[in-house]
Amino acid sequence: MPSNPDVVLAAVDVHEVEHVYGTGRDAVTALGPISLSVRPGSFVVLVGASGCGKSTLLRLIAGFERPTSGAVRVGGREPVPGAGAGVVFQQPRLFPWKTVGGNVDLALRYAGVPKPERPGRIGELLGRVGLHDVAGRRTWQISGGQQQRVAIARALAGDDDLLLLDEPFAALDALTRERLQEDLRQVTGETGRTCVFVTHSVDEAVFLGSRVVVLTHRPGRIALDLDVDLPRSGVGPDRLRALPEYAALRTVIGQEVREAAGGR
Amino acid sequence: MIYTQSGTAVEPSVVPVGGSAPAGVPAKRRPRRILVRLGALAALVAVWQLAAVTTRNPSFVPSPKAVWSQLILTSTTHDGVRGYSGHYLVEHLGISLRRILIGSVLGTAVGLILGVVMGTVPWIRVVTEPVVTFVRALPPLAYFSLLIIWFGIDETPKLWLLTIAALPPVAVATASAVYGAPIGLVEAARALGATRRDVIRDVVLPNALPEIFTGVRLAVGLAYSSVVAAETINGVPGIGGMVRDAQRYLQTDVVVLGLLAIGLSGLLIDAALRTAENRLIPWRGRS
Ligand SMILES: Nc1ncnc2c1ncn2[C@@H]1O[C@H](COP(=O)(O)OP(=O)(O)O)[C@@H](O)[C@H]1O
Ligand SMILES: [Mg+2]
Repeated sequence: MPSNPDVVLAAVDVHEVEHVYGTGRDAVTALGPISLSVRPGSFVVLVGASGCGKSTLLRLIAGFERPTSGAVRVGGREPVPGAGAGVVFQQPRLFPWKTVGGNVDLALRYAGVPKPERPGRIGELLGRVGLHDVAGRRTWQISGGQQQRVAIARALAGDDDLLLLDEPFAALDALTRERLQEDLRQVTGETGRTCVFVTHSVDEAVFLGSRVVVLTHRPGRIALDLDVDLPRSGVGPDRLRALPEYAALRTVIGQEVREAAGGR
Repeated sequence: MIYTQSGTAVEPSVVPVGGSAPAGVPAKRRPRRILVRLGALAALVAVWQLAAVTTRNPSFVPSPKAVWSQLILTSTTHDGVRGYSGHYLVEHLGISLRRILIGSVLGTAVGLILGVVMGTVPWIRVVTEPVVTFVRALPPLAYFSLLIIWFGIDETPKLWLLTIAALPPVAVATASAVYGAPIGLVEAARALGATRRDVIRDVVLPNALPEIFTGVRLAVGLAYSSVVAAETINGVPGIGGMVRDAQRYLQTDVVVLGLLAIGLSGLLIDAALRTAENRLIPWRGRS
């Protein structure tokens, strides 16, 4: 089984967490009870049907929500937005009043990077997500895939050890999505960041995750927790997808996701 | 809601000339819209000439030519008389524009601050909103009497009047835009480590800028239509004062000239504001 918190301090520790939206008759239990410990450097993918509480779990880890019961720890501390984790949302959420470079610049400023260093860092960050010569563009002048790349570059600006991504590629076309998946794997591999990635796509989960966690339908609990032992280096994306182990994992996880979603 | 009110509130200052394109025309079609306006203007002059010829009463409908010669007379010194009432037309207009400028700037500045506070502090919004709406509903002439009693008949009450007229639209537009800041972008900024002040400066205010600008254009329009009211008392020099004096002496051609000067300068100022808007807010409608 995955990490043992006694041996290594977990990057993320979710302990007996339950989350309820609203009160009284309107109360909706969105998540839990759920416990999850994320080892530093791992790439955890949360898979589940829509509405099962994936975003809720991610928002709890990001510090946007406080759990109704239980505890969430990031790097041993209670999470606060903007401290300890970069976040990428389903929509790029770029600031349209800033240029592409301006968006990254703002993130660097919030991260406390002094002004003279920022221009160089902007180019470096955009380059890392495969973008060149777009810093001066307006955010609506680049494609949806490029916008999401900028959002990733912006989330990397803080140099946090943890990266949280909530279905970041769901709105993109298949081709662009595969490209971004490959590039994200490379970026996170190079930088050794811990990732918690939410998706409803089984293929995406198997391709990206070093560990895949399947959630039940609402309120989301763990239905399956699986380490993915696919060769990560020296194998191109197409070769990886063609491996028999890849197909086997897809089948297992796909079945579990369908079962976990119940009769929906 | 702001839009409908903008329509009715701005029109009086813009319409006297005649042709006015429908609001909300995309920026790309601006040159064409100006052409349409000029065309409408030409048509109006033709109709006007026809009306002047058929009525044959210059005190009722002065001919375009009579108004043109008034333009020359009021812009020159003739028989030792300088322009109209001792001031050239441009001086009358300049004084009025200066009043409009000061009133709009003051009203915008105060409205902006008030709007941000109203949009961010709920209880202040609850307290001030009815007051602002109340003042907004009052015709400027209604409180002008009070301002005269308080501040006399010179420059002060006029500037107060224009400031009070310009303030509410900016405050209301700013407040609603600040209050309605998109949660998604605010969260994105917070996730990047923005403080509360950062969020207001880097997300809430830029996001509100298009609506604030609409409020400013409304405010300038209101200051414009209020300046004539402000100049009904001790208004010379001033274009409103000039029109009022001319009305007393049945100098209809001067009245029409004054109206044209007000309307045309109003069009120019609104066009300038639109240009500034497109320059300053390239992301308008993109978010
Ligand atoms: N702010 C909220 N208020 C009330 N209910 C919410 C809120 N956010 C999410 N929910 C509900 O909680 C459940 C889980 O939502 P979410 O975490 O967004 O699921 P997922 O991301 O897996 O699709 C859903 O039923 C959703 O309707
Ligand atoms: Mg979701």
